[in-house]
Formats: sequence, C-alpha cells, structure tokens
Amino acid sequence: MVYTHKHPALLIMGVIFLIIGATAQFGLQEGLIGYLKTSKYLGEMTGLAYTAGVIGVVVGLWHLFGTHEEGNLDYYLSTVAGVIFILLVAMIVRWYLAPIVAVLSKGLGTVMGAKYLHQVLGLNYVVLGILAGILIVNVFKIPEWADNGIRMSRLGLKTGVILLGTLYSLAELAHLGRLSVVLIGFFVLGSVGLVLWFARRRNLPNSMGGVLSAGMGVCGVSATVAAAPVVQARSVEIAYTIGTILLWGVGCMFIFPVIGQLLGLGHIQFGAWAGTGILNSAQVAGAALAYQPDGIETLKVAEIFNITRVLFLPIIVLWLALWYVRREEGAEAVNTGRVIFEKFPVFVIGFILMFALSSTGIFAPANHYKGKYFDNDIAAEKLLKPEQVASLQQALPKVQRVDRQQALRRLIENRKVMSIDDDATLRGLVNAQVLTKDANKILKGAHKAVRHTAKKIKKFRQWITLLFAFGLTGLGMQITVASIKQAGGQPLVIGGVVGTAKAVLSLLVIMLFVHETI
Amino acid sequence: MNPKRILCASHGTDGARAAEEQALHLCHNDIALHHLIVVPEFWKGMMGDDWLNNAVTRERFGNYLEGQLDSEVAEVVERLDRAVQETGAEFSCESRFGKPAECLVDASRGRAFDLVVIGSPRPKGMHGLRSRMDIGTLVRELRIPLLIVPHPGS
Repeated sequence: MVYTHKHPALLIMGVIFLIIGATAQFGLQEGLIGYLKTSKYLGEMTGLAYTAGVIGVVVGLWHLFGTHEEGNLDYYLSTVAGVIFILLVAMIVRWYLAPIVAVLSKGLGTVMGAKYLHQVLGLNYVVLGILAGILIVNVFKIPEWADNGIRMSRLGLKTGVILLGTLYSLAELAHLGRLSVVLIGFFVLGSVGLVLWFARRRNLPNSMGGVLSAGMGVCGVSATVAAAPVVQARSVEIAYTIGTILLWGVGCMFIFPVIGQLLGLGHIQFGAWAGTGILNSAQVAGAALAYQPDGIETLKVAEIFNITRVLFLPIIVLWLALWYVRREEGAEAVNTGRVIFEKFPVFVIGFILMFALSSTGIFAPANHYKGKYFDNDIAAEKLLKPEQVASLQQALPKVQRVDRQQALRRLIENRKVMSIDDDATLRGLVNAQVLTKDANKILKGAHKAVRHTAKKIKKFRQWITLLFAFGLTGLGMQITVASIKQAGGQPLVIGGVVGTAKAVLSLLVIMLFVHETI
Repeated sequence: MNPKRILCASHGTDGARAAEEQALHLCHNDIALHHLIVVPEFWKGMMGDDWLNNAVTRERFGNYLEGQLDSEVAEVVERLDRAVQETGAEFSCESRFGKPAECLVDASRGRAFDLVVIGSPRPKGMHGLRSRMDIGTLVRELRIPLLIVPHPGS
C-alpha cells in the first residue's frame, strides 16, 4: 500500500510557515506582536517556522511531484503532512489565538481576585489547542492526507515526557515518587475495586466490570485499550467505557483548573490532584498546563503521577486477567510474563535515562537545582546601585532574625549576594514580607543577578512545552463526539459515582497532607 | 402492498429485532430478503486519546475489536438467515462500514428493492447504544417505501 497522497496541502502549509517566519523576522508583524504581547515567542516564530517551512516545502514538493512506491520511505514521509498540520494548528493557537483570547479577556477586567477570565478558565494555548483539535475532527474531519501523521502526536508526548527527565533533582523525584505511589496506589486500587464491586451489585457482566474498572482506575482510554482483550469485553462494553471516560476526562480538563484556582491550590497540590483525579493521562497533562501555562512545575508533578499510573497499568491488567479467568469458564489462561513485558511503558526508561544523564551535570552545572545554579561572578552593571544600597540600609532595622540581618549586611557591603546560603536566607526574607515592596523588589533583583538558568535546561523547557502543545493538539484531533456520545447506561452511572468519589476524596487528601515543601 | 424484494437493516438490538420480525412476517416462497448490517464509523475513533500504549498493545486491541465486531455481525446474520430459510424466502446479506443512513441509502440503490424495513431508536431510559441512524437523510434520499417498526419497549 502507498501511503503518500498526491496533494498540495503540505506544500501550502510549508509556505505558510515560511511567510510567518519571514514576516516575523523582518518586523512586518511588529504591530500585531506588540498588541498581542507575544514578543517572547519571536524566537519560535522565526526558528521553528523556518524549520517547519523548509521541511514542509521540500517534502511537500516530493508529495506532489515525486513517484511514490510502497516501502518505509513512503510510509515515514507520508506522516510529515499530518505532523506539519498539527504543528500549524498548535502554533497558530499558541502565537495568535491564545494571545487574542488573553487580550479580550483582559479587556473585560478581573473576575476573581486579581485574575482574568481566561486565567480562571485556563483558556491558554494548550487547552485551546486541544479544543481546536476536537473542533477540526468533529466539524471538518481530518483530511485523508493528514490521517497517517496525526498519530505522531503520541510520539511528541512521549518525547516530551522523556525530556522532562532532565528537570528533576534526585530529592524532588524521590519525594514526588513516594507521594505518587501512595496516592495512586490507594486511589487506583480503590477505584478498580469499587467499580468491580458496583458492577457485581448491579449484575453487570464480568467483562463489562473488568474493562470499566481498568478505565476508571488507571489511565482512562489507555487502560481500556490494554485491558479489553484480556477480559474479553464485547464491543458495546468497550464503546460504553470509552465514551464514559472521554466524557469524564474532557469535562475534568476544564473543571479541575477552575476548582484549583478557586481553592488557591499550589503547583504541587494541583499537579498531584490532577494526576490522581483525572482519568485520562492526556487530559492530566492538559489540565496541568492549563493551570500553569507559563511554567512547567505543575506539569512536572502531574507527569510523575502519570508515569506512576502507567507503571501500575501492567499490574492492574494482570490482576484483571487473573480475576476474569477465575470467574469465567473458557477464558484464556494468562501468560504473566507476556502481559508484564507487553504492557511495560518503554518510554519511562527514556525518562529515567535522561534523569540519570541530567544528574551527572551534563546539562547544567553540578550544583544546579531545577536547572538553576548560583554564580556571583557578575558584571559591574548587575551590582546594586548606590540608591538601592541606601534603600536596603533603611530597611535593615526592620529585620529581626540574626541570620537574615547578617545576610542583608553582606549584600549591602558587597552589592551582590555572597553565597548560596545567603541567597536562600534572603529569599526567605522576601517571602516573609517583612520589608517594603521596594526593598523586596531590590532583593529579588539581587537574587536574579546571581541565579542563572542553564542554557541547555532552558532549551529543554522550551522543547517540552512545544512537544506537549503539539502532542495534545494532535490528541484533540482523535477525540470524536461520536465516541463520547456512546457514554450511557449503567457504566455511565458507575463511572460517574466512582470518578466523582475519586476526584473529591483525592482533593481532600491532597489539601490535608500535601504541602509546597518539595 | 406486496413487496417481493425487501431490504432489512438490522444489527441485533431490540429495535432492530422488531424490524427483523416484521420483515419475516412479509416473507414467503417468492420473496427475497436482503440483510444489511452496518458497523458505524464511530469505531474508527474508539482508541480516543490513548497515547501511553505501545504499538503492540494498540494492534492487539485493534485486532481484538475487529474480531469481536466480526463475530457479533456473524451472530446476527446467522440468526436471521436461519429464520428467513424457515419461511422459504431467499436470503442474502452484506455488511458495510460508515454512517448507517448513508450506507442504507447506498445499499437500496444497488439493487431493485420494493421496501426498506428498519427498527426505531430505543426509547429514553432503555439500555443500549445511541442510535446512529439519521432518519432525515433516509426520508430525503430513499426512493422506495420505508417501514419503521416501533420499538418493543415503547
């Protein structure tokens, strides 16, 4: 079979990217960029746009005029059209649509405390990208020439998770790992058990209970896909389960960030809650990025929970397989080794490898923490100005704690932070809000002058954000309303009860026991 | 009305079985009943936003689902085939993948049928998947009489 379509779409998309890149580089978009406040994306709007543009034009010409024969070259190059299509949608949303929504939302004024409507609703480039994907597949349909490449979004997400491995410290990973194993262990096993119990009480077939419990308990559609053949689910049961999970998952992606904002959850609390309470792992990432679009601390926490969930998947599938064999005559015997081997998520090994590489200091100096390191060998213009020193001297009497006084004195004497310990102490002083706003601003500036972000880590962060934007927009293109509409009957009732119980209970546990101390 | 060539669309649900029974009532020696079974296109999107599984697991699921749908289709076809044979009528069948209404209209134009028989969507509150049959399309596009049999639970 030849996969490549003789179609001008890829060529046209390549040209569009080149136009975006050129107009951004030569200042033709200056007015728009100023209005939308998107100058931070200027690097992407040239570098990424040119790269995608050149690939689009070259491969697009081959698609249109080349001779295509069955084989690997045809297969892999046919995916480029879908990849560039997702990228174009994701970047139009990131560079133009989401900023327009932000400008309009700011025009309405604040709606909740100091927050704007788009911040409360989490309407950023990630959520809008997923929505754009859902809109495209359901209203316009995925064009045939893009069909083969849309599935590459999964590769984008997995690569994003692998690169995330560079951003964790050992202490962070150990702490989050322990927390996620406890929470996921309790809530996954709890919800699997609860669904099986409900299904038995309501006389549902074992296959229905089995497939629904995997979906509701572990990681949504992915678990359903893994468990359905093992519990020999009928087609109608699969449809019910996937419909219920998609309905619940898409709903949660919008509701969780709003509740998180209302309750003022911290990044770790929200990441842990989303990672435990949202069924579908893609929507966990979506909700985490919706909650904190300009940073990836929430995503880092949520993804550790996602990884823990996926590590639980082979265990749950095995459990359900053994459970099913005991209850159903004629069920296939379980090959334990094969189940564990086949369901093991290989990309998690990539994540661990990147973490191990990062720990050697290959991407950032050995003393870095979260990609940032201390270095006070700074240029003269970054030293404190005389008027700033005078301001801090005036503020000095307000400081009671001796260690803070000493750190502040050293800063005043040297016009720069003198050690990593002083930096931590002065950060504590800022957080304590003992000083005036102006004094705190000076201290923050002094902190920034000596804390540097490793260039490679900065690049990784940018790539991770782009890969998730790409992956989630592509996954949006695979969520059909027709499949969501299959939700119904007893599975929807059971799913609704168990899903709500899991979300509410996990929120309570997290608010009571999880604090921002990592 | 005395139809000689009947097109019956059925996929084994309660509503579709009512349509089968009605069609069987019309069957006798010189009647031909053609059975159409449609696998709705929503199955194409039934892996949703799964991204965690590897290719082996996804392929296993795809093969399993395909096999499952095949065996469910075969079950319905076999049952109706037996019932039609008992009436002495001639039985033929086909399965299609796509939008049910479009498939039915297309099938109705493929041969010279006198009557199309279908079931009703399930009433609210009854167990079963949501009906994907677009009655509006059928009414607009069909060129032969259409019999919609009431749902047994209505």
